[in-house]
Amino acid sequence: MAPAVRFSGITKRYPGVVALHDVGFDVQAGSCHAVCGENGAGKSTLGKLLSGIIQPDGGVIEIDGAAQRFAAPSQALAAGVAMVHQELALCNNLSVAENLCLGSMPRRGPFVSWSAMRARAIALLGDVGATIEPSRPMQELSVAEQQLVQIAAAVGSGAHIIVFDEPTSSLSEGEVDALYALMGRLRARGVTVLYVSHRMPEIFRLCDHVTVLRDGAHVTTVPTSSLDERELVRQMIGRELTQYFPSHVGTVPGDELLKVTGLTRPGRFRDVSFTLRAGEVLGFAGLVGAGRSEVAEALFGLDPHTTGEVRVRGDAVQITSPRDAMAHGLGLVPEDRKQQGLVLMMKARENVTLPFANRMASRTWMSHALEKALTSDWFGRLNVRASSTEVLAAELSGGNQQKLLLARWLAAGSKVLMLDEPTRGVDVGAKAELHARIDQLAADGHGVLLISSELPELINLSTRILVFRNGRIVGEVGRAEATQEVLMRLMAGLTSELATA
Amino acid sequence: MAAITRSPQLGLIVVLAVLGAGLTFASGSHTDALSGARINNFLNPHTLIQMATDASGFAIMGVGATIVIISGGIDLSVGAVYALAGVTMAMVLRAAAPLDPAVAVLLGLATCLAVSLACGIANGIMVVGLDVHPFIITLGTMWMLRGLAFVTSKAESILVPGALTAVAKAPLGLGTALYPVPLLVMLAVTALGTVYLARTVMGRHVFAVGGNPEASRFAGLHVGRIRLGVYILSSLGAGLAAFMGAAFYGSATSSDANGYELYVVASAVVGGASLSGGKGSALSATLGALLIVMIRQGIRTLHLDQNYEWIIIGGAMVLAVVFDQRGTQWLARRAAKNAVAKPSAAP
Repeated sequence: MAPAVRFSGITKRYPGVVALHDVGFDVQAGSCHAVCGENGAGKSTLGKLLSGIIQPDGGVIEIDGAAQRFAAPSQALAAGVAMVHQELALCNNLSVAENLCLGSMPRRGPFVSWSAMRARAIALLGDVGATIEPSRPMQELSVAEQQLVQIAAAVGSGAHIIVFDEPTSSLSEGEVDALYALMGRLRARGVTVLYVSHRMPEIFRLCDHVTVLRDGAHVTTVPTSSLDERELVRQMIGRELTQYFPSHVGTVPGDELLKVTGLTRPGRFRDVSFTLRAGEVLGFAGLVGAGRSEVAEALFGLDPHTTGEVRVRGDAVQITSPRDAMAHGLGLVPEDRKQQGLVLMMKARENVTLPFANRMASRTWMSHALEKALTSDWFGRLNVRASSTEVLAAELSGGNQQKLLLARWLAAGSKVLMLDEPTRGVDVGAKAELHARIDQLAADGHGVLLISSELPELINLSTRILVFRNGRIVGEVGRAEATQEVLMRLMAGLTSELATA
Repeated sequence: MAAITRSPQLGLIVVLAVLGAGLTFASGSHTDALSGARINNFLNPHTLIQMATDASGFAIMGVGATIVIISGGIDLSVGAVYALAGVTMAMVLRAAAPLDPAVAVLLGLATCLAVSLACGIANGIMVVGLDVHPFIITLGTMWMLRGLAFVTSKAESILVPGALTAVAKAPLGLGTALYPVPLLVMLAVTALGTVYLARTVMGRHVFAVGGNPEASRFAGLHVGRIRLGVYILSSLGAGLAAFMGAAFYGSATSSDANGYELYVVASAVVGGASLSGGKGSALSATLGALLIVMIRQGIRTLHLDQNYEWIIIGGAMVLAVVFDQRGTQWLARRAAKNAVAKPSAAP
């Protein structure tokens, strides 16, 4: 039997980079096939080529044994290939039903037939086991629901090959389980799944085959059962990753840097109190929406409706703007580095000095030389890999973008660093390096407030972990007692007797 | 060499040079009655300085408009600010007459700048405080300020003192009927705008706010204050242009600079400013203004039917932007190819 998909000699170039070079492998019909690799390895590019969003510069894609050349996603759909996107690929301003029927609106004469559209939408959603009211506007849906609509549209269009591009990156645990169940049902119907991800547990749980890409080249395609997590990581980064987490320098906590008492923001968090000492990494655990990021943003002066007492090195302070926060030595590396952290079209140097550009100026004129010297100094210390300080922030990899933001606040002189999901979307090698930096920052006498949804990261880096649930701190766990199970129970609000689920 | 080929202004300069050369060849020449010398109908001091004078108003306002556009906003009220500043100045000077020439010039300039400053503050406060899109706010103030100019001046054309004209038309050692002052003011404003954007802290902040307002807020920038500032600068540009215009032509009316806002936005956009913010340059805005004026001049020099002027300008503007974008992409691709071919070469 011909494979569902056969890639041979696939090459794709972008200005300045070769995204894929001579990649070839088969995807067996009815299988769930993982495509993994570090960021920039070309895995998403491969998915886009298969679904006709972009076109290869060389090579052939065969679908069910027939060579295909898709000039547009509509042609790929006609051949039975659909893609479920990482980011929303639907019209936010239209309803679920309109989105589902966008390609072929049911008509009555020149008019749209709303009743027929609704009926078709319900049928399509039912087909994937979703119960979403078709008249709801797309923008009201959660990410998980939006994905369901995308999947319903893909299945409804008759797709028998579906590409999932990092589908779980913004889903909660429960939503991930529901997605897994749905993928099981899809496979039972003979749908071939191409699963683009770099998340180890998912690959091993869901996929029967795995293809590893590295720097745009094909490394290997093997049955998932033939390797383990460690081996897969080694294939992805091309070297042995000696340790995921740094060995702790074991600093003794120093002076109290930050003391927060009764911090409250109606509707977001209540009565949050904690202290942070120099040399400590204080972890914030909790589900999305538990109030962790909100607390960090409030401390940074971004939320004017916050009450409560904040002391910096023992002195009570009023922080009503990020400028105040900076003046008191606080720095925030925000959750969404592209939206909240960086001005992507500006140079790396300009991004570093953004909060304190006035310090780079004598009288009125900015000194680019001073900026360059400062930036390259910090880039050296944090091991930022950039060809120069003049590259655009957009051209840096995710890990280096995060380090740039760290450099920004260190250069600004921050003693308390609040890091919100610092390793999200960062590939494996860069992640380990960021972990080492965070450890080093604490060892150097900074106080680090670490917000992370990755429990291993929290457990291995934090001196203490505060667990948030519904806007309150529901527990504090020391390093010795911290395990994923303990944290999950607190996060989900399960008592220990019920915690087996 | 690399600095020249990578310059973002390269495309525009090439277009201007090619168009200028084409017009020089196509326009023919005539014999000067007095000296008997052959004079090119396009490439002669009078035509060139006349073009610079025509362009100076657009360029002075275009630099301000570019700053607003870089910040992610737009200012449609500059033509109306021009008219209001011009008629207010003319009325103030008429009421205060007779005045010492130097006093008249300074009072005139101060009046223009004060009126435009007030307009800029009003625009900025409304854009920031009401949180309504600047297109709507400045569309509204465009009509309101134009109406205010109309009502206060009673639609009269008001003469301004000869002292102002003497300054604006000062020959500065050039021959008679050659007036270089508007050209010099245009160059000075362009230089100021360039330095402001490239070298001052606020200039840097304007790019940051236009590039990503959210990240700017997270970096502790006073986003509101920065946006207020750009509308003030844009208005001040209109005030200065109004002073120059009224002084040069000797009078001001409420219908002055009608429709200039679109020329000004066109200059900025032809100069490569991105309407989504974060990108643009003062020099490019001036080059954009020169291009528009040169196209208009070309229609006259070549004795084309002037009824087609709008069609040609509109088409040329779209072409210039497309050419500029394609050219930039082509350069980027070529640079990328070279970088891939020579990976060892340090940038």
